[in-house]
Amino acid sequence: MYSSIPKGLTDFTLLVEKGTNAIVTNKYNPFYYHGALPQFYLWVLYLSGLLLFAYYIPTIDNAYFSENLVNAWTSVNYITNTIPMGAVIRGIHRYAGDAMVITILLHALRVWVTDRYRQYRWIQWVTGIVLLLLVLFVGQTGYYLVWDERSLILTRMTVSALRVLPFVGPGIAEWFLNGTAITNLTLSNFLFIHIGLSFFLLFGLWLHYVRMTRPVMTPPPAINYILMAVLLLVVFAYPISSGKMADINSTPTSFDIDWFFLFPYYMMAHMDLTVYWVALIGITLAVCFIPLPSLYKAAAPVEAAEVVLSKCVGCRLCSLDCPYMAIEMVPAPAGSRFKLLATVKPYRCSGCGVCVGACAFDAIDLPNLLDSDVTAQIKAMAESQ
Amino acid sequence: MAVGSENKVITLICERACDLSSVTDASGEVKEVSGLHVVKLPCSGMIQPLMIEAAMKAGAAGVIVTGCQLGDCYYREGNRMIRDRLLGNRPPGLKKTVDRRRVLALWLARPQKDRFLSEAKEFMHLVKGLGTPTPAPAAASKAAAPAASKAEDKTPEEKAADAKPKVSKDIPVNPDATVDGAKGPER
Repeated sequence: MYSSIPKGLTDFTLLVEKGTNAIVTNKYNPFYYHGALPQFYLWVLYLSGLLLFAYYIPTIDNAYFSENLVNAWTSVNYITNTIPMGAVIRGIHRYAGDAMVITILLHALRVWVTDRYRQYRWIQWVTGIVLLLLVLFVGQTGYYLVWDERSLILTRMTVSALRVLPFVGPGIAEWFLNGTAITNLTLSNFLFIHIGLSFFLLFGLWLHYVRMTRPVMTPPPAINYILMAVLLLVVFAYPISSGKMADINSTPTSFDIDWFFLFPYYMMAHMDLTVYWVALIGITLAVCFIPLPSLYKAAAPVEAAEVVLSKCVGCRLCSLDCPYMAIEMVPAPAGSRFKLLATVKPYRCSGCGVCVGACAFDAIDLPNLLDSDVTAQIKAMAESQ
Repeated sequence: MAVGSENKVITLICERACDLSSVTDASGEVKEVSGLHVVKLPCSGMIQPLMIEAAMKAGAAGVIVTGCQLGDCYYREGNRMIRDRLLGNRPPGLKKTVDRRRVLALWLARPQKDRFLSEAKEFMHLVKGLGTPTPAPAAASKAAAPAASKAEDKTPEEKAADAKPKVSKDIPVNPDATVDGAKGPER
């Protein structure tokens, strides 16, 4: 156990959590809701995004109102400066995105430090990486929508990076721009990508939660209030402002970088585009392969629990308690006295033995540690000398 | 500490909770505290209430159940499940005949070896004061709450449950713990 992780690191994490418990009690320890924190920020993002969507206009200019220019930039400007609390909602939307990336990274770090990423959990690890990439991409498209000079540079950099990709590159670039050049249709496509892919996150989350019996999706309200308070503090301390309105005929060359979302553009600017794609895809695959069995020095492979068919009464307690949905109740064979029979899905089983503890009939066993042996050991200990 | 066979305490411990490998010998007895035996399990969720009853029946003076800190189960929910089973909020529960004062639950992280030893010594002293264990003490049904009230690593609900002299039917039952929504937890 914990064998592939430095022991000091895990012990340090456990001690920090212990200290946190002493202050806020287990119930409100944010370390025990590390996966639910990004989920909370996701709801914040959906809500604030909905409000921004009401006033956002996805065009780059509008010839019919040339005296009173209406485009993406002026609509964002209108939200920020004219609508009451508009700047606050915009700030919340922006910083909740940053907070989501931070909490996702902390979540991944704790999962890795406490060795909870491999074997029967590989789906969670891989879908987690897909989710992080999605969050990063959706966040980047949010930066295009503001349509200031930074958006223009980012769009141009993305298009040139996409065009480098062999075979599919030009097609993706055209899909991205919704044509061959930046037009009004480009911005409506950006808005569609930003909102559409953000709902795709929900599909990813479903995959992330699959095989989990009672996923912890919501922190206690007290933690939510604190998360919200921290967010508002940052919103008021560092108000958001747009850059200069984008002008397609100009070529701005530099912009402020948001390190949580825009670091790929830093890479793009400082390396050859082919190298950039190789690095990006290579890093992603490498992280996905972290749960490969040959990479961790596990003590032993999981030996799945086994049902003693003659003893199972079909009471469902083990299937209710199994934390990984590894036990399915099937109809008992004809002639049985009972209606249901427990069956174990070995590829989902973690070998934790919670089902053994749930069974009052000795009807389920870990093959490498029979509960009858444990009971015999207990008896021998209690009766000795 | 004077030990007779009536003063044996069995510890059922999760192998990821506090690390006792440095203080136990090959047979699982704690070297510095005679009479304190340790049985390691992959997760505290594997502990069957039947195991605790078996230990008592075989003459053990007490049983210590040790899992990781609540909220931090490697297998997600194991320590919560055994906690709920001991409190009678989740089936299968402990039989009424088990003297709850002789069961101690500790929730300790891996580095907390010393904390375990001090709690265990105190518990052994307490159990010794209870006299010779009998398989079915009459006092058992009165002292329905587990004797773990000393442990500080407990949640407020647990403290509330411990403070109640007798587990009554109106204790809120975890909806997940009922079978088909019809049968309540066994008591």
